[in-house]
Amino acid sequence: MKNKKEEELDWRRLDNSAKIFPISTGKKYSTVFRLSVVLKEKINPKVLEEAVNETLEVYQSFKVRMKAGFFWYYFEHNPKKPIVEEERDYPCQYINPKTNNNYLFKVTYFENKINIDIFHSLTDGNSGTIFFKEIIYHYLELMYPEVFQEERKARKIEYNTEDSYMKNYDKKAKSNASGKKAYTLKGEKIRLGAVSAIHQIIPLEELKKESKKYEATITQYLTAVLMYAIYEENYRKYKGKKPIKICIPVNLKKYFPSKTMSNFFSYITVEAEMKRDRLDTFEKMIEFVKEDFQKRLTEEEIIKTMSANVKIGNNSFVRAIPLILKNPLVRLGYMEIRKYTTITFSNIGRIGMIGKYQDYIDYFLMLIAPESVEKIKCSSCTFENKMVFTFTSILKDNSIERRFYQFLKDRGIKIQIESNGVLDDISTKVE
Amino acid sequence: MIYPQKLNSKKSDRILKGAILISVLVAFLLVTINRLTNPKIPWAALANGGIVYIWITVFYSIRKNINIAGHVLLQTVAISTLLLFIDYELGEKGWSVNMAIPIIIIISNITMLVLTIVSYKKFIKYAIYQLMIVLYSMLPILLMTENMIQDKMLSMIASGISIFNLFITFVLCAKDVKEAMIRKFHM
Repeated sequence: MKNKKEEELDWRRLDNSAKIFPISTGKKYSTVFRLSVVLKEKINPKVLEEAVNETLEVYQSFKVRMKAGFFWYYFEHNPKKPIVEEERDYPCQYINPKTNNNYLFKVTYFENKINIDIFHSLTDGNSGTIFFKEIIYHYLELMYPEVFQEERKARKIEYNTEDSYMKNYDKKAKSNASGKKAYTLKGEKIRLGAVSAIHQIIPLEELKKESKKYEATITQYLTAVLMYAIYEENYRKYKGKKPIKICIPVNLKKYFPSKTMSNFFSYITVEAEMKRDRLDTFEKMIEFVKEDFQKRLTEEEIIKTMSANVKIGNNSFVRAIPLILKNPLVRLGYMEIRKYTTITFSNIGRIGMIGKYQDYIDYFLMLIAPESVEKIKCSSCTFENKMVFTFTSILKDNSIERRFYQFLKDRGIKIQIESNGVLDDISTKVE
Repeated sequence: MIYPQKLNSKKSDRILKGAILISVLVAFLLVTINRLTNPKIPWAALANGGIVYIWITVFYSIRKNINIAGHVLLQTVAISTLLLFIDYELGEKGWSVNMAIPIIIIISNITMLVLTIVSYKKFIKYAIYQLMIVLYSMLPILLMTENMIQDKMLSMIASGISIFNLFITFVLCAKDVKEAMIRKFHM
């Protein structure tokens, strides 16, 4: 345990991915993702608050505030307690540190659900899940101390905050980025600030069976369904010409040994030239997606993408630019970069919970903040036999979501819909 | 149901925006009245300078986690600027640079000296602001070399106190100053 003075002296640099987020972020582009858990019982707010405080003592890397340096932002110890409150805002909203005791994450609750909104500078989806699971463990242990006596002692926590990008990137790797801009989703936007969240709760076993028919993984299958829904409902309607590009984040811990709680992810981009490659049926699309995954989801390709990004942040010229000048330059650059993606689909996979804790949980959710260029973002996670595929959107038209639902339903998959009611008709009329 | 029925997007601070709008309208009204009544005496400009100063202070004060040293620096710079502006508007008699600004610098340096001594354990929080105040305190010397100050005594005392302040800071909190510099200027 550190004393107060040592805590005050604690600071760390932002990892290579994290550097970009505070510079490019604003109210319209929050770079916040949300993880939620739906329990089988109502949340006790006081216990939740205590659980968050206990978890922060274990994961001190989250007990930080962000400060501006002359060249870069950095994290330093945050002596305040985090605010835990009832859910009132749309998901994945910009986290204003000034109204959040300087924290870069926000825990909220509603009925049976606990949410954590995390600013991406702090960590990525994978490490965010580890932290969130720890909050849930603590919450359940505090609620039922007699049930979890043994489990509480047995849990081992090992982590660091190293910049695993710097440790693992290849200085000689050449960039593999495509130079073509992507098709951007068209349509009228909903009122400023509002975000629609539509969750499609899919039985995992049924989805597995369906994807096996095409010899595809679940991520490949869902990517193809998403591409099909975009093609049918938006691309054709607006006579799209540019390629549909689907960005798929990749957890780098699967490729490199790392125990970091900082960001450590990269991405692959599935790039589909719909007209040139005559991708006009689902069958053609899934074959294309499978091939493209095979081509791009290799260690060599992932290292190339990661290294290219690290090199930019590590460039001596970029490093030497004062933060005050970096802000407008990066914002301009980032506005341009975002035009190279049609949609992001992040599948964080199975969220595993230790034995007894599972009994209290219904399912998990993951949401990513949409923004003015990428108007819809998709994410999914799995708990037990429930996979939840989530659309977060700022488009008034929910036909992509509907087509996605209908496609799976037509194949005999029973889907349950939950939504935040912004585009109310899908949750009420679609079933 | 997993979401509340009514969700908010981020509340824009309507009261604050409304108050700013009223200030702008008042400023225009003052300028108009000033021009119509007695254009030779620029009292509207002085009043508007005061309005700007108040807003700077308000914006800084409503932040939830204000740093005392940061506030000292802000007030030092803001009041100096306001007085310089008033001096300029009232015929550039030089009382701001000869007297007012050196006195403000002396007060801010004494405040920082007290802060350093009283809470030197927390000094890492103040270090960067302290260095900026010292830097700002060298302004009278710069003005002296440019022959913009007639009465040099007060300016020399102000800059002298500031240098003494810097010396005490290094004696008491050299490690913190070094640490703060590494944090702020890491590349």
